[in-house]
Amino acid sequence: MQGTIVKAGARGLVAPGPLSSRSSRYWAPYLLVAPPVLLIASLVIYPLLYNIWLSVHHYRTGEFVGLYNFAQALADPQFLASLHATAIFVASALVVEVLLGLGLALLIHRTIRSGWARTVIYILFLLPMVTPPVAAGVIARLIYTPTYGVLNVLLMRLGVIHQEILWLARPWTAMFAVVSVDIWQWMPFVFLVCFAGLQGVPLDTVEAAVVDGADGWRLFRHIELPHLETLLLLVVVFRFTDTFRVFDHVLVLTGGGPGATTEFLSVYLYRNAFKFFNLGYSAALSLFVLLVTSVAFTVLTRYLGREVTA
Amino acid sequence: MKPSRTKLIVLGLGILVLTSTAFAAPALPPKPAKLTMAVVAGGETKGLKAILPIWERERGVKIDLVEYPYPTLYEKLVTAFQANAATFDLLIADDPWMPKFGSEGWLVPLDSTFGYKRDPDIFPVVYDLGSWPPPRGPIPPGEASKARHLYAITLVGNVEFFLYRKDLVSAPKTWNDVVANAKKVNDPNKPLYGFVIRGAKGNPVISEFTPVLLSFGAKIFDDKWRVVLNSKAAVDALTFFAKTLTQYAPPGVANYDAAERAREVATGRAAQGFIWPAEINDIVENPAVSQVVGKLGYTLAPAGPGGKHAPLIGNWLLAIPKGSTNQRWAYEFIVWATSARMQKPYALGGGIPFRKSVLTDAAMNKQFTFFKAMADSLAAPAEWRPRTSEWFAVEAILGTHVNAALAGVETPQQAIAKSAAEIEARMKDAGYYR
Repeated sequence: MQGTIVKAGARGLVAPGPLSSRSSRYWAPYLLVAPPVLLIASLVIYPLLYNIWLSVHHYRTGEFVGLYNFAQALADPQFLASLHATAIFVASALVVEVLLGLGLALLIHRTIRSGWARTVIYILFLLPMVTPPVAAGVIARLIYTPTYGVLNVLLMRLGVIHQEILWLARPWTAMFAVVSVDIWQWMPFVFLVCFAGLQGVPLDTVEAAVVDGADGWRLFRHIELPHLETLLLLVVVFRFTDTFRVFDHVLVLTGGGPGATTEFLSVYLYRNAFKFFNLGYSAALSLFVLLVTSVAFTVLTRYLGREVTA
Repeated sequence: MKPSRTKLIVLGLGILVLTSTAFAAPALPPKPAKLTMAVVAGGETKGLKAILPIWERERGVKIDLVEYPYPTLYEKLVTAFQANAATFDLLIADDPWMPKFGSEGWLVPLDSTFGYKRDPDIFPVVYDLGSWPPPRGPIPPGEASKARHLYAITLVGNVEFFLYRKDLVSAPKTWNDVVANAKKVNDPNKPLYGFVIRGAKGNPVISEFTPVLLSFGAKIFDDKWRVVLNSKAAVDALTFFAKTLTQYAPPGVANYDAAERAREVATGRAAQGFIWPAEINDIVENPAVSQVVGKLGYTLAPAGPGGKHAPLIGNWLLAIPKGSTNQRWAYEFIVWATSARMQKPYALGGGIPFRKSVLTDAAMNKQFTFFKAMADSLAAPAEWRPRTSEWFAVEAILGTHVNAALAGVETPQQAIAKSAAEIEARMKDAGYYR
């Protein structure tokens, strides 16, 4: 049945007249597919191939150097430091964003029924997401800066601290600061996706579970979570790839410091490419980023596929 | 005989007339509709903007300023040069960019192309900055054989010097004087700090640390680009910077950039520190934002244990890209903008001058109390960043570890040793040696 429809559709696409000849019919599908293929080739395939070409050439001499740039990365302490910093950032931001977003979605789903109140919440949660990351970095810098930063003043007035915390000048507090901005900006995304997912849980199933004596946790574990699993996996994929590439607000907030404690892979890559113009090395690093995100994406989508099929 | 003599005289006169026109300066080509100039966004172009209406009135050629933030300007210029695009007719470039621009041959030589003549009213260091290959210090591999030309002339005579609260302390001549002053006034309860540091990672902390490093007698490279940073002098300099000076500095300076430093001075919370001229006009001597107007003194960067002063130069240079289609008019503008006649209106309009006659002018010094410190610093002569296109990588490496030492993440010994090893690896990779 499906085959018939496709055939009829294909026939319908071919205009009568000269194009209806055998050769026209042969070329028509290729012509129709050509524009998107050309677009993808120019925007994705060519840059990717050029990137691979750059990664196997020396940035100054242009000589072919094989895998030298990749080997150099493995012996580069700054690259390893940036990898370490990225791992800490991704793990902490991802865990907090998912747990907090999911928790808030559950809380609001179960406690707030009013339509207008939910609309207000949607808007409030959308605001951080539409804030440009650079602006978020500037705002955060004003919050965390010593002496006149809002956070220190607030904590001191509340009596929580008696001495200024040097948020951006100490390794762990600087990491906390950059993670907090990411959470502020992207936890709402997790919330909105989970909240939308919870709306899709059949009400009669929930009511039946409640009648059977399911408490809040069991309701979540056995009724709501199975409905959310696919969405949560998608959220994890998106947030993993995004946090792995984090850049803008970090550059504004800490510039990668103190030392190299917040110099994430993307910041290090940017410096190599656009400050030192070492395009060969940065191309190798970007292929590494591509590899990691692709592997993560493949693993998660396979798992996702299994979940959907099941 | 007679007619032939007349013929000879006529012929001789004819040759004279012809050759005299051949030696005269070539006439200016027709006026272009406009000249496009890439500049950095910020206070550095204040003086330029003040004199542009005069140029447009006098010469009738409009100048379009295209402003980019500091990091973007370099990227835009490199991209335009690589494409040999006629995007810009003129540009202003930070002086550490000269090695890259000079070695790539992206700029028009001003001496051999237009016959630019040096002016004794301009400090020699200013001409050194705009010349390639550099007239002193190590020269990058492959560059020494090139003929030296002048490719750029200073527009913004930026040089780093020292400020102190003259109502609280006396002018420090050495780092020991700085520490003594700091001890005398430091009181975090007021709060008043003895010394403020611009310690943020990368360029900020290196601009601040380099005058200390060099004044202690340490160097990053020898004359063959071998890294000689890992020395006792360098460790002493960093220990002094990250341990001694921070005792008198506001908390959190490891994240301070120029804005934070100027704020500490302007709000009366810091008694001493380094300063660049643009921050003086815009912030610390600006009555609209500063509480310490008239209370600040300016002097040469303090001397280290060996008596060496090492003020850091950071001029912005005017140059013409090879891709420009209006090179002759661009040159006209450079000569006009850097002339002695325009230097005073330029300075009065908020620009940072570079001519001896203006920096040592008594009337100008009354109005701009930092001019003498600037003149002393340029005459010292001011130190430049090593003339290599690898400087940005070197600065990033050293700037990461010095910042780490300032934040207490690394010891001064570790920071210097790691920096030296990483810089050497970088220079090897760049083909400076095997």
